[in-house]
Amino acid sequence: MGETGQLKKRKGIHGTLALIAIGVGLYYGLVVAPPDAYQGEVQRIMYLHIPTIVAAYVAFFLVFVGSCLYLWKKEKRDDILAHASAEIGVFLTALVIVEGSIWGKPTWGVWWTWDARLTTTAILLLIFIGYLLLRSLIEDEGRAASAAAVLGIIGALDIPLIHMSVYWWRTLHQPPSIFRPDKAPWENIAWPLLIPLIVNIVAFLILFFYLLSLRYRLGEMREAIKTRRLERGI
Amino acid sequence: MTPAWGFVALAYGIVWGAIVIYLVALKRRYRSAEVELNRLRSSEVTENNDKK
Repeated sequence: MGETGQLKKRKGIHGTLALIAIGVGLYYGLVVAPPDAYQGEVQRIMYLHIPTIVAAYVAFFLVFVGSCLYLWKKEKRDDILAHASAEIGVFLTALVIVEGSIWGKPTWGVWWTWDARLTTTAILLLIFIGYLLLRSLIEDEGRAASAAAVLGIIGALDIPLIHMSVYWWRTLHQPPSIFRPDKAPWENIAWPLLIPLIVNIVAFLILFFYLLSLRYRLGEMREAIKTRRLERGI
Repeated sequence: MTPAWGFVALAYGIVWGAIVIYLVALKRRYRSAEVELNRLRSSEVTENNDKK
C-alpha cells in the first residue's frame, strides 16, 4: 500500500473512531445521565458545552505552541498547525457561545449577559476571527504568518483569563465544575453526572483531533500546490 | 416534550448540524486540494517524460 493509501486508511479508522465516540457520547448525555436535581433536563446541554470548550482550549493551546515554534524556527509545518487549529478553535468557540446561550435562557432567564466569563469568551472568539482575517488580508505569506503567530500567542493568553474570570470577578457564571484548584472533579459532581461528562469530553477530543488531522493535511496540500505552481511559473 | 427538552433538542440540533456541515465543507476542500495536487503531479510527470 502506498503512502496515500496508508494515510487514507488511517483517516478512515480515525473517522470511524470519532463516529463511535460521538454515538457513545450522545447515548450517555441523552439517555444514561439522570436529570440534574436543580436544573432538570436542561443540564444535558452541559454534555455538549463543557466538552466543546475543552476541545476549543486544546485548539488554542496548539495555536500557541505552533505560533511560538514558528516564530522561533520559521518552519512552515508549525504555521500550518497553528492555522488549522485556529480555524477549528473559532468554530468550536462559536458553538460554545450558542450552547451557553441556549442553556442560559431557561436557567438565567436571558440569552446573553455581559458576565465576565461570557465576555472574555466572546473576546477570545473575536481575537481568533481577527487572526483568520489577518492571514487573508496580508499578501506576503511570511509576514502574514509572523503577524498571525504574534496574535495567536496574545489570543491564547486570554484562556487563563477566561478560566479565572469566575474567581476574579463577581459573575453569574458558576465556578469551574471539573478543572478547579480546590477540589477533585468527583468531589464536586456526582459520579452518575461525571461519567457522561468524561465520556463526552473524550468523544469531543477524538472528533477534534480527527478534524485537525484533515485540516492540517489540507494546509500541507495547499502549500505543496503553491510550491509546485511557483516552481513552474503558473 | 417539556420546554426543557425543547432547549436540549435545540442545542443538540444546532451543534451537531453545524459539526456535520463543517465536516462536509472540510472534506470538500480536502478533496478539491487533493485533485489539484494530483493534477499538478501528473502534469509534471508528463512534462518530464516529454523532456526525455
